[in-house]
Amino acid sequence: MLNLKAIIPAMTGQILLRGLIVLLFNSTLGAQQTSGATSVDQQTIQLLLQRIDQLEARVAQLEANEGATALKNALPPSKAADSATSRETDTNPARHNALSQSLASLHAIAPLAGESEQAPSENAMNDRMDLSKTLMRIRGFGDVSFHGDTQPGDNTSFSMGELDLFITSDMSDRFKFLSEVVFEAGPDNIYGVQVGPENSFDVDIERYLLQYSYNDYFNLAIGRGHTAIGYYNNAYHHSSWMQTTTERPFLFEFEDRGGILPIHIVGASASGRVPSGSLGLHYVAEIGNGRESRNPLEDEPVQNEISDRNGKAFNLELFARPEAWQGFQSGLSFYRDRLLPTGSPKIAESILAAHALLIRPKYEWLNEALMDRHAISGTPYAFNTPGFYSQVSKQFGSYRPYFRYEYLNVSRNEPVFPDVALRHGPIAGLRYDPNESVAVKFEYQYTFLRNQQGVHGLTGQVGFTF
Amino acid sequence: MKSLITAVLVAGVALWTMVEAGATLGAGTDVALPEQGTPPEPLVIVVNRMNPVDDLSFADLRSIFLGSRSYWNNGKRITVVMREPGEQERRVILHDVCGMDEEQFKTHFLRGLYTGEILVSPKTLDTPVGVRKFIFNVPGAIGYLRESDVDPTVKVVRVDERLPWDKGYRLRVP
Repeated sequence: MLNLKAIIPAMTGQILLRGLIVLLFNSTLGAQQTSGATSVDQQTIQLLLQRIDQLEARVAQLEANEGATALKNALPPSKAADSATSRETDTNPARHNALSQSLASLHAIAPLAGESEQAPSENAMNDRMDLSKTLMRIRGFGDVSFHGDTQPGDNTSFSMGELDLFITSDMSDRFKFLSEVVFEAGPDNIYGVQVGPENSFDVDIERYLLQYSYNDYFNLAIGRGHTAIGYYNNAYHHSSWMQTTTERPFLFEFEDRGGILPIHIVGASASGRVPSGSLGLHYVAEIGNGRESRNPLEDEPVQNEISDRNGKAFNLELFARPEAWQGFQSGLSFYRDRLLPTGSPKIAESILAAHALLIRPKYEWLNEALMDRHAISGTPYAFNTPGFYSQVSKQFGSYRPYFRYEYLNVSRNEPVFPDVALRHGPIAGLRYDPNESVAVKFEYQYTFLRNQQGVHGLTGQVGFTF
Repeated sequence: MKSLITAVLVAGVALWTMVEAGATLGAGTDVALPEQGTPPEPLVIVVNRMNPVDDLSFADLRSIFLGSRSYWNNGKRITVVMREPGEQERRVILHDVCGMDEEQFKTHFLRGLYTGEILVSPKTLDTPVGVRKFIFNVPGAIGYLRESDVDPTVKVVRVDERLPWDKGYRLRVP
């Protein structure tokens, strides 16, 4: 009985307690029978029954205490008590006591915990092991455009935009796969030079990343992704539905669409938050193959498999999202690489980019500027290519008028992309979202070109996600 | 020179639009929440009982419910639990915490997943019992319940150092 006294306070279930006492009682009777006793000691039985009553009362008391503990546990510990004393409370006693009353019913825990529903993490694990299920989640983006302009040789055309299959998979709690497989029509345009046949479809794997997430401050990714130069490149990727306008700013145009920046990088990156309180600092550090050194011209500009040099490109970005300024972001990035064109001196490439933007659900103001510098080794020559854009839009119901001005000035003697030249001009348009999956855009563009007639253009586009 | 003038014009249009929209930096949301006739009840932020967190600031809540914060301080991954679209509790969270409407919230998560900045989208459950059960089972889960739906299976978290029945508690559901 002494041992029982010690054990029982630790018990919380009435059934277990009763079972133990019944067992003890039976064993006592059994002992009496084996000793040959013929009469039952009525006094002992009476004592035991009284003891059972006492213990049952004790269990009830323990359960009540546990209910109170549960109430405290539902509140932030150590602070529950000061709520009623240090802070003025609601004057409605019914509401004030509502939690206490509901929390007092500890019985709610048992059925919840006892139900055989597996924890989601277990379900996820089972799903991963089930070969009959796919781990992939696929989201699609596409667009169709109608475009006409005054550029000599251009015809008005319907154009199939990129068909973008965005595929992700949660391989585990920490590992995730992310890719963008893009089907796109038409020839490549590498630094202003057309490469490949017209009107045929190609398949590009634009992003292909294995991501590891350790915590909010440290995430790793390896594979092919978008270089963290500025803001736009890592915000909109290959979906025209997601961006306000019909096209990316030409400063951030893709490499195979005439862009001048190393938009994609094959390598590894680390990213995360920087402990900075309400300043909301974030960092990105990347290392990779860098762009192809442009020899010969028709080569794929992104070095997916083999690099033409041992040195690696790196990129560092730091940006802030202050808590006090919802939707505001500002940051700087610095990209460094060394190109080795065949038969030409080495070229040191440095790209310094800055951005400041404000994005609210109904309002958008993007501003980015950068300088792409190519310094030819062993010579005093260096070529600076400046560019910027500023874009503003505001939503009125389903309509969002927008305006952008963009500028890019490439020297005639630029050693990497002289064909791009100078171009700048405004675009103005209207985006209409008839529902949450479709966007219809109408846009006017005017582009000033060096030593050429300016080009007027009109574009209608339907972008969608599916 | 033309570029400079145009850039200044863009900036002017942008500023005018901001002023017109009343969109001052640091201001609240520009999403309207319909008025309701019934008296408001506190909307309680709840987490798993094993979660050591006691208090979250409104900014913390915003970053958690918008997916920009993915881990608790103890290293557990955060799993956000939302009620289904159309539920009043969800609308309060979207409006008061996220500053968005339903469509903007969906687009935000689609964009975040697309960029890789958001690791997982929220878990959507259709009843308070489902929310409680999920949070009870998942150590890193966080969700919200009406005060009358709270029971001991979940832990109530202070918001900006206030409990749901404290004066000045900001989250209330009609």
